[in-house]
Amino acid sequence: MTKVTLKDLSLREQRLSQRVLELKQAYFRAVPEICCERPVLVTRFARQHGFFDKQRISALEKARQYRHVLEHRRPVVWHDRAVERSMASFAVKDRSLFAGSTTSHFKGVPIFPEFMGLALWPELHNIKTRAANPYFLDDDDARALNEDVFPFWLDHSILEVCRKRLSSQSPAPGGRGRDTIEMNLLEMLVFFLASKANCISHTIPDFTQALRLGLRGIADEARKRGQAARNAEQRDFYAAMVEAMAGIMAYSRNLAAEARRMAAAATDADEKAELLAIAAINERVPELPARSFREGLTTIWICWTAIHLENPDVGLSLGRLDQVLFDLYQKDIASGVLTVEQAIELLACLWLKIGDHVPCVPATGEQLFGGTGSNQAITVGGVDAKGANSVNDLTYVMIRATELMMLRDPNLNARYFSGVNDKAYLRRLCEVNLNTGATPALHNDRAVIAALTAKGETLEQARDYGVIGCVEPGSNGRSYGATASILLNLTSVLELALYNGEHRHTGRGNLISERTGEAASFRSFADFKQAFVRQAAWMVERATALNQALGLTHQDVYPTPILSSLFEGPMDKGKDLIFGGATINSSGASIIGFADVVDSLAAIEQVVFTEKAMGLPDLLAVLDANFAGHEALLARLRNPLRTPKYGNESPVADALALWLATTLDELFGSKQNYRDGRWRVGYWTMTNHAGFGRLSRATPNGRRDGENFTSGITPVSGVTPSLTKALGSVASLPSKVLSNGVAFNIKYTPDHAHLDRMLDNFVASVEGYFDPVRGGAGGMEIQFNVTTHDTFVDAVKNPQNYPELLVRVSGYTAYFKDLNPQMQQEIIERTEYDLGLGRAVEFARNS
Amino acid sequence: MQTLKRLYYTLLSWLLPERLALRLFRRRFDDLRRAVEGKLVDKFVEILLGAMELSFFLMRGFRRNLSGFAGSYLLRTSDGRVAAGAHFAAGRMRVDHEDFPDYSVAITFKDAPALRRFLLSRDQDILASILANDVTVDGNLNYVYKLGFLARDLFHRLGVG
Repeated sequence: MTKVTLKDLSLREQRLSQRVLELKQAYFRAVPEICCERPVLVTRFARQHGFFDKQRISALEKARQYRHVLEHRRPVVWHDRAVERSMASFAVKDRSLFAGSTTSHFKGVPIFPEFMGLALWPELHNIKTRAANPYFLDDDDARALNEDVFPFWLDHSILEVCRKRLSSQSPAPGGRGRDTIEMNLLEMLVFFLASKANCISHTIPDFTQALRLGLRGIADEARKRGQAARNAEQRDFYAAMVEAMAGIMAYSRNLAAEARRMAAAATDADEKAELLAIAAINERVPELPARSFREGLTTIWICWTAIHLENPDVGLSLGRLDQVLFDLYQKDIASGVLTVEQAIELLACLWLKIGDHVPCVPATGEQLFGGTGSNQAITVGGVDAKGANSVNDLTYVMIRATELMMLRDPNLNARYFSGVNDKAYLRRLCEVNLNTGATPALHNDRAVIAALTAKGETLEQARDYGVIGCVEPGSNGRSYGATASILLNLTSVLELALYNGEHRHTGRGNLISERTGEAASFRSFADFKQAFVRQAAWMVERATALNQALGLTHQDVYPTPILSSLFEGPMDKGKDLIFGGATINSSGASIIGFADVVDSLAAIEQVVFTEKAMGLPDLLAVLDANFAGHEALLARLRNPLRTPKYGNESPVADALALWLATTLDELFGSKQNYRDGRWRVGYWTMTNHAGFGRLSRATPNGRRDGENFTSGITPVSGVTPSLTKALGSVASLPSKVLSNGVAFNIKYTPDHAHLDRMLDNFVASVEGYFDPVRGGAGGMEIQFNVTTHDTFVDAVKNPQNYPELLVRVSGYTAYFKDLNPQMQQEIIERTEYDLGLGRAVEFARNS
Repeated sequence: MQTLKRLYYTLLSWLLPERLALRLFRRRFDDLRRAVEGKLVDKFVEILLGAMELSFFLMRGFRRNLSGFAGSYLLRTSDGRVAAGAHFAAGRMRVDHEDFPDYSVAITFKDAPALRRFLLSRDQDILASILANDVTVDGNLNYVYKLGFLARDLFHRLGVG
C-alpha cells in the first residue's frame, strides 16, 4: 500500500491557524527567562536525602528525586505572560493544544547546577543587560539561585567531582599545580572541549514503547522484571524505572487537573471545550497507550519535558517522528477525525513547545560560541529497517509545518535514498530549503547506512537511523551515541607538530605535549606527517582519558532512569544507560578545522618539501609575523591554482584529506569508552570553528591570526570556484571514516525569478553529491543557506528587520541575529554558488 | 591587630545604621570605585578584598553571602609572589598575605589589571584572560564563579561600576 496519498506534496493551500500565528508572534517577541523551579526542587531534595554526603547516587535515588520534582513542579497549562527585549512583561494569548512546558516560563532557560549552571553565578546581577542574548531573571529567582541552589553545588558539580577524581590519582602527570594535564587542556580551551561537563545524553529516545504500551505498561514490565532480577542492583534499577514512570504520569495528571480547574472557571465556551479536551487527553496519556495522533503527540511531549528535567538540553533529539507516529496519523485521517489542516496545527503547536527553552550559556560562552539553540533534531524520510521507501504523508505534513514555522528548534533533517525515495520528494526538500533559506539538512541514506554498518551495526539498525543534535546519525532509540563527547581542535594538533610540542597560544617555551622534532629537523614531508600523527595520538589519548573520567563520574552520581526507561536496551539488560544499558554504546568526537589543516598540510608539502621554496622554520617565521611583509607568499598560499586546496578535486589535497580522516578514524576507533563501546569520528563544528579560529594564530594555508576556521567538512571559503569540484572532493571521502556525521555547508544564490530552473539545478547538485559512482557511497550530508550575500550584510546592519532570518551554522539552524559577529562574518564569507553557472559568485569581502 | 579591627567593625555594625556606617568608610569605598574604574589598578587586589571584608561587617544583606560558605582563595602573581589569601569560614572573611597549600582555588595572574579584567569585566574577558594566559586557575573553578559574584554583588550594593 502506498504511504503517499497527498495530491499536492507541497501542501500549498495549508496555512498557519490564528492560534499558531498568535503563539508564534509571542514566541519571537519573548526573551528567554531563567527558570529556578528545577534547580530549587532538585537541590532541596538532594539536601534532604543526603546526596551531598554520598560518593555514589543510585538510579533509584535519582528516580525518586525526579518523581518528587515532577509531582511538585507547577503544572502550567497555558502561559499568560512572557518578557520582551526591554525586560518588560507582556500578555500572551496562549491557546496551545498541548499543556505543560520544559520550564515554568513561556520561553525558559533551564538551570542544571549539577553540570555548568554555576557558571552563571557572576552574572546574576547583569544577565538582563548583557550584550549577547540576554536572559530575564527576576530578583527573587536570583536570590534563590545565590542562596538556595548554587552554594550547595560548589563541591559537587560533575566537573568538580571529576577534577577531584583525577587529582587524587597520584602522581598527576604533566599537569600544572594540582590538576592533571587533561583538566589543564580543557581549561585552556584551545585544544578540545569535553561536553560531559555540560551534558550527559546526546541521543534519541525510543518513543515506540511509550506510545504502544503507555508508561503504565513500561512500569508493569519493569516491576515484573524486578521480581525476577538476579541481584539487588538490577532490582533497584527496575524499581527506578517504576518510580520514573510514576513521576511522569503524575505530572500529566497534574496538568489535567489544572486544565479542569481552568475549564470550570472559563466563561468562553471554546476555551472551556479546549481545556476539557486537554484534560481528557492528559488524564489518559502518557499513562495508557495512545489511540489518536493528538494523544501520540501528547505522549511524546510529556515524555520530552520529563527527559529534559533529567538531561540538560544539549542536542537531545526526537528521531523519526514521521515513522513512529504514522500509524496513528493514518488511522485518524482514514476515520475522518483528523484533517491535514488540523495535523499541521497540532505539529506547529508541538514545534513551538519543543522550542520553548534555550540552553544556559554564560556571557563568555555567548561571545565565543553563542547563538545555539537546544539543537533538537527531528528526522523524516529515508528507508525503513527492511530497506523500503518510508516517506509517507506525515513526512510531507511535517515538512510543511516546518516550512511555515521557520523555527530554529526543532532542527529538521531529511533522509534520502536515491533510487528508493521518489525524486519528487527530493525536489520538495530543495524547495523548502529555498523557501526557508536554511532547512532541512539532507542526509544520504546510502552513505550513512554504509558508515554505521562499518562500525558494527546490523543493517536493520543502520537503516533505522535518526539524526542527533546537529548531523550525527544514530540508530533510532537504541544508540546511546554520546556523539558530541569531544570537540577536538585539529589545528592545535598541527600547531604542536609545527612547534615541537608547544602552542603559540599558551606560550612558546611552555611544553604542552611531547617533543616530536624541531621544524628544521624534518627531512621530508613523511617525517613531518609522522610528527603530526604522534601529536594527534597524544591529543586523542588525553581527550578520551578525560571523557572516560567524566563518564565514570556520571556513573557515580548521575544515573538517568527517566531516559533509560524510554530507550531500547536498559529493560533487557537491567541497567542504566550510563552503565552501558543501551543496545549500541559508542562515543563520538567531532573535529574542528579539518579543511584548514588539510590545506595547511598541502601547503607545507608543496612549498617546503616539493618545491623547496622555503624552509619550514622560515614558514613559521612568516606565520609568527602574521604574513606581514610577505603578501606575495600569502597570495600564493591562498591561490588554488598555485597551492593545492581541498575542494578542487586536487589529487594532492584530496589524498591528504583521505589520509587525515582515515588516521583520525583509526586513532579514535582504537579507543574503548566507559560503556564498552568504541569511538566514532565526525566533522561538524557548530560555532566552534569561529570560536577556535578567533583564538588561533596564522596557519600555513594563508589564514591570518584570529580568522575563522572553516565549518564542518566544508572546503575553505573562497578557494573553491567550481561547485562540481567542491561537491566531488567532499563526496570522495568514504563515509566509513566519517561515522559520527558531517556538516557540509553550501551557500546558493536564490533565484526566485527562475524557480523551476533553480530547483532543477538544486536537485541535480544534491543527486550529484549523493551519487555513489565515484567509488564510495557518495557524500554523506549536505546543508544549505539560500540567502543572498546582500541580505546577510543588511541583516548585520539592521538586525531588527530580520528577527526570523534562519541560517545553517554547521549542523544546526540558528537565527542570524543571535550569532556573534565573528560567526555572522563567517556565514557572510562562505563561498556562494550560482547554481545556473555552477561557479562561485564574486562579492566584496568584509563588506 | 586583626582582632581589634574585627571588634571595631563589629561594634560599628551594631551601633550604627548601615547607611551611616557606609558613609563613615566612604573613602575606602571611593578607592574601590576608582579601582573598578581603572584608576588605582595596581592596588586592586588589596582594595577589593579589603572592601569586601569590611562590607561583610557593615552590610547585612551582603553578609548573607557568607552563610554556610567555607573556602579559601590564593591569589598570586605569575612570578609566584602571593598577592593575597582570602579565607571564608564560619560566616567570616579573613585576608592575609601568606602562602598556603590547601586552597580551594589558586588564581595566578600576570598583573593587577589582568585580575581586574578577569573578575570584573563584562562579556568575554574572563575567557579572554584565561586564553591570553593573563590568568590561570588551579583548583575548583566553581569558587571563581562565587568570587566573581561576590565582587559584582558588592559593586551592585555600593552602586559601583
